[in-house]
Amino acid sequence: MATIDLGKHGGGNGGLPGHDHHGADDLSRPYHERYHAAHHFEDREHEFDAVKMGVWLFLATEILLFSGMFCAYAIFRLMYPEAFVNGSHHLDWRWGLLNTVILLMSSYWVAAAVRHAQTNNQKWLQINVFLTFLAGLAFLIIKFVFEYAKKYKEGLLPGKFYSFGGDATAHEPLWWAIYWGATGIHASHVIVGMGLFVWVWLRSRRGHFGPGHYNAVEGVGLYWHIVDIVWIFLFPMLYLIH
Amino acid sequence: MSGSAHTAGHAAGYTPHGHGDHGHTIVPIITLRLVLASLLFFTVLTVFLSRGEAWLSNFLNFDIPQWVNVVIALSIATVKTAIVVLYFMQLKYDNPLNAMIFIFTLLTVAFFLGFTMIDLGNRQTIDRFKGVSISPGGTGLRGDGPITVRAQEFARLEGHHAHHHAAEHVERGGLTTAGFRTPVPEIGSSPQYARPVRGLTLPGLAPAPTSDVSGGHSANGH
Repeated sequence: MATIDLGKHGGGNGGLPGHDHHGADDLSRPYHERYHAAHHFEDREHEFDAVKMGVWLFLATEILLFSGMFCAYAIFRLMYPEAFVNGSHHLDWRWGLLNTVILLMSSYWVAAAVRHAQTNNQKWLQINVFLTFLAGLAFLIIKFVFEYAKKYKEGLLPGKFYSFGGDATAHEPLWWAIYWGATGIHASHVIVGMGLFVWVWLRSRRGHFGPGHYNAVEGVGLYWHIVDIVWIFLFPMLYLIH
Repeated sequence: MSGSAHTAGHAAGYTPHGHGDHGHTIVPIITLRLVLASLLFFTVLTVFLSRGEAWLSNFLNFDIPQWVNVVIALSIATVKTAIVVLYFMQLKYDNPLNAMIFIFTLLTVAFFLGFTMIDLGNRQTIDRFKGVSISPGGTGLRGDGPITVRAQEFARLEGHHAHHHAAEHVERGGLTTAGFRTPVPEIGSSPQYARPVRGLTLPGLAPAPTSDVSGGHSANGH
């Protein structure tokens, strides 16, 4: 399997310019080749490892955040299984399936985008980052237009806003609190991810990313994969209860 | 959408030094595509199994226990997650330190969920002493109203109950003047059992024990 080594490209001398064997400060070379690691890193390799570990630590907190919601789900589903079954029947699993496929595709695109950065395939790097952004947009449109709007009209809302008159079992408001809480926090992560992809896309158009420097693509991609993983669990837990 | 044709050349161009420690793996495009295909396959599989289960139940009156469905659905989701983490997130090729961060996070989540489930499964044992059971409701929209109102009502009824059945409580080894909603097993009284009855009753909710109720002695754990 092919590998690349960022080690001695740019940096390597505490970030001081002009001492690199590869002409790192020749302005005719693209940004990602001229890129110097920040001065507190030994070299790009050192910076890459630190950045990636930082992202993983952040993802650990994200996992803990979502596990709180999964815990609430487990408690209330064990206490009131009928309410969850009946509440889930208000959801259309086909929208959930479509959104799952969209997020899985976007995860592939962003994984491929990292690869395109590593192999200096600038055109497909930009296309893949943009496709990922579009997938996030499609996910949100489906979520808001075809799901949230309908629930809102029917009064299937969390907490004191709940005004639906036709529930089959008591405690269905609890199900809707879990549904809105879990999907709402997930959707807000999708919105944040889309903003990050706009940033990555704009930078990729300026040639900022390449084999020697692709920290942002990698980091935002990892975040996006976690958002995808949360949905991988939410989909069967919310839509496929019978 | 790959541009995989010229990757080898570029990749080779960026490995001239070879520190000796680790390089950055470029995952082959075929691997990424196989991962996507398997993720889509498992998605279709979980929907298919769920729909099949609903069909069996609706048309053949054959009900698979719900826990079986939950275990199957969560197992498939776990497999999908493992694939995403190993290949898309590249933990398989990455610095092992990142994998350790991930695994320790999972352990933390396991403790978190595990202890919560232990608590949920053992609520009955403390509800006896708290005197007020967890009742249906909690939304404030249905049931008997907010939990504070129900607690007051419950305390009032219990006080009434205890007043009329005090002798019975003593006979059964009853532990409190307020009495219990559920019959108390024949375990006798002890300081451990007696103490929380008062300690956990909010002031003002339970009526003060009257002098003619002999159960008051047992509440102090004789």
